[in-house]
Amino acid sequence: MSENIEIKIRDLSKHYGSKKALDHVNLNIRQGMFGLLGPNGAGKTTLMKIMTTLTKKSGGEVTVCEIPVEECRKVREITGYLPQDFSMYGNMSAYEALDYLAVLSGMGKRERREKVPKMLEKVNLKEQQKTKVKAMSGGMRRRLGIAQALIHNPKVVVVDEPTAGLDPEERVRFRNLLCEIAKERIVILSTHIVGDIEATCEEIAVLNEGKILFRGTINELLQMVEGKVYTAEISTMEVSKVQKKFLVTGILTTGNITRIKIISQMQPMEQAQLCPPDVEDAYMYLMKYKEYGEV
Amino acid sequence: MQKYSKIGISYFKGQYLPHLAVTLLFCLLSVCFVSFRNLELMQSAKILEMYVSLAGIFLMTPLLMPEQNVEIWQLEKSKATPMWQIYLVRLLLSSVLVAFVYTAFSLALEINDSAFLWDKMWICGISELFLLGAIGFAVSAITNQVVIGYMIAVIYYVANIGGRKYFGGLALFQMMEGKYDFAGRMFAVGIAVIVLSILIRERQK
Amino acid sequence: MFGALFGKECKQILKSLVYYFYILVLALFLSTQLKNPDWIEEIEGPKPNQEHYGMKETHDKNVIMGHTLASLTEEIGRESFSTYPYGFYKGVAPTKDELATMKKIIESCTGKSWDRILEEQEKYYEQFDMTDMSSSIMASENYQVKPREDLTYADFQKNMERVTKIIGKGSYYEKESYESGATVPMSYEEALKEYETMRKHDRVTGAYMRLFCDYAGIMLAFLPMFLGVTRCLRDQRAVAMQVIHAKSVSSAKIILSRYLANVFMAFLPVVLIGFILQLPYCYYAHTLGFQPDYFAFLTYPIVWLLPEIMVVMSLAFLITEMTDKIFVVFIQIFWMLAEEFTTVSLAGHFGMRLALRWNTIGATQDYLAQRQDLYWNRSIYTVIAVLLIAFCVVIYEKKRKEGESLYAKIFKNRH
Repeated sequence: MSENIEIKIRDLSKHYGSKKALDHVNLNIRQGMFGLLGPNGAGKTTLMKIMTTLTKKSGGEVTVCEIPVEECRKVREITGYLPQDFSMYGNMSAYEALDYLAVLSGMGKRERREKVPKMLEKVNLKEQQKTKVKAMSGGMRRRLGIAQALIHNPKVVVVDEPTAGLDPEERVRFRNLLCEIAKERIVILSTHIVGDIEATCEEIAVLNEGKILFRGTINELLQMVEGKVYTAEISTMEVSKVQKKFLVTGILTTGNITRIKIISQMQPMEQAQLCPPDVEDAYMYLMKYKEYGEV
Repeated sequence: MQKYSKIGISYFKGQYLPHLAVTLLFCLLSVCFVSFRNLELMQSAKILEMYVSLAGIFLMTPLLMPEQNVEIWQLEKSKATPMWQIYLVRLLLSSVLVAFVYTAFSLALEINDSAFLWDKMWICGISELFLLGAIGFAVSAITNQVVIGYMIAVIYYVANIGGRKYFGGLALFQMMEGKYDFAGRMFAVGIAVIVLSILIRERQK
Repeated sequence: MFGALFGKECKQILKSLVYYFYILVLALFLSTQLKNPDWIEEIEGPKPNQEHYGMKETHDKNVIMGHTLASLTEEIGRESFSTYPYGFYKGVAPTKDELATMKKIIESCTGKSWDRILEEQEKYYEQFDMTDMSSSIMASENYQVKPREDLTYADFQKNMERVTKIIGKGSYYEKESYESGATVPMSYEEALKEYETMRKHDRVTGAYMRLFCDYAGIMLAFLPMFLGVTRCLRDQRAVAMQVIHAKSVSSAKIILSRYLANVFMAFLPVVLIGFILQLPYCYYAHTLGFQPDYFAFLTYPIVWLLPEIMVVMSLAFLITEMTDKIFVVFIQIFWMLAEEFTTVSLAGHFGMRLALRWNTIGATQDYLAQRQDLYWNRSIYTVIAVLLIAFCVVIYEKKRKEGESLYAKIFKNRH
């Protein structure tokens, strides 16, 4: 898969009535893992649905591997989509569900016979291939979901909140699987879980109220808050006062003493000490100071 | 009391309105299909039993439509208020509407100088609407598929057109034969069917 | 790919509770309605000197006029007219002036006074025992009010138009109605000729399968709709819409595979039940000494019932995909009821009916005379079914691209 694998988004807008879900978004997404961060209602799902041709855009241009999204069929042939609330017909077994979705992906009988068992094994569902979808756990369903998104070997894989509700072990397994498949593809991962972004994504975009607040690498995001993240120990009774004054991103209470993490342009208090920022800090900084127009 | 009125109003505003709209359309369309003027007793009975009785299906079958989404059902089940109380509120609401619709048609007949026996036909007619609605409700409760509820209720109605002899005392269209002794039976069976279906439903996982 | 999808859809239908209810209801209804052994006598043929050889439809204008005037006389006497303008009964009670006008019309058509006509009516009914049901039915069927000799059919028609203007739409005095309702008793020779036609053409099983199609058609006017609605709502219930919409398969393949699978699976039990119920009639044909039409269980349902299943199913698909709701249930119920109550004849007069009626065994000559109408009717419904499902494909593709149904677009709350 060495051809041009890129998603180009130019001046993309989407309106639902008077509400702007996406507001003149510009983005280039290249091969590898790409993270999409943002609060609820930011427009992440709308953006993904437009890329996977499930919603029409109101304005702008979107091309997926040089194919405009208006050419739905061609785009669907090269994309795989795992929606946030993925499910399938409850009375189908894992094998049957994957086989059915493989048929819908245009795969022939011989190809399915070969690839469906392999894919089930890859996502660790080989033992549960006869389990009915309605009897599956959340983690199993997600694995089935990623299997159906990959079965036809797409160039672009879009996954919406794939690890929400999974236990830590499942989450790590899922992330590793996504990293593996991202070697030769674009994998767009939309999530609230900052840890997933940190662990897997080379580049990210932060969306809020339909606009891109940040676009770049994790390092560039962290540089934004370099020298602005402090930790301090204060009396537990002072916590609420401090929260009103500063942006607090972490609170750890042990009896009367509380260790807090603050984001501030200048040292917030005498006992505060600088500490290395993480992605969550950067994200909170973006969200907070975007309100005041400082970013 | 406030809790139950809130349950009823919430269901009425959030879920029930499309079905009420259909029933209203059904009532309004009746002037195109049937005449209410100068009808003899049997002719009045025919309109009430063969046309108006369908309103029972429209009003009572979809009462469990929200719970077709199993997650919603489970969420409601997890709350302190038992499900049977929620169903009861909806059933009472729909029963009142069934009586209202039937009474409206009965008044339409009387105003237009058609024969109508208030002491017999009012309660008998409502019992038929109730039975049809109860069948639809019960089947949708047990199967958790409202479509099957509609299916069985409509089939019961259609089967009575040609095969009433197989339904004995629970046959529809008895007023058209001059019989008025079936109301108690129909109400009893309707209530029994509803209660049984709720019991079965609540025992399901 | 299409074959694979079709096969998978059929397999899914076999797991559906709605499907088993469908089969159960169809089987129960048909087996209870079609178990009457009395019809065997009709298959054995008429014998000389029988009291009654059945009735036959006639297009004899004198008979038509006689029967129509008789009906008009009786309804004027009752001062109440039965009409079926949109399928349901609508009684019309004319004013005194309107009744007087209609009496004048009768007098003009017969050349007799109203009082004289009533006298003759009384004398006619005195010949019959009106307490006996079969006697009273025969009396009613045979009663005619003879038109005057110089009354032309055109004049008669003009008079009936005047009556229709007074009473309104849906009465017996509309041309299509009175020309289809006239019957006269058959003679032995006519009954024998009818029997020979039935032997030669129907070979017993054909006649039986028309009756089978009559009953099956009543149920198939609405039952298949439930299969269609269930299938179309399954994606929503299973929360699988988005993942299916995102696949590269065309909307035409998705919809057509589902549609054809449902039509096939809805039709299959009809054929199987027809085959089973036909078996005794194959045997009876042998005992009467001739070869039955073994494939009648297939040929008749294909022509009579398959287009009906197709159009009901395609309407269910279209409305459900358009709205993601069960509105088609109400539409189909209304259609089914309107069909039931606009029945002009229980045998033939197909017009544009969805469920074709032939509630009699035999009447082969009548059937052969109306067969062309039947073919037209079924052809038109097949075309309608194809157009509806084609439109459904368009709607589905639009829904896939826009992420919501037409109903959701119109009624969704927007902030």
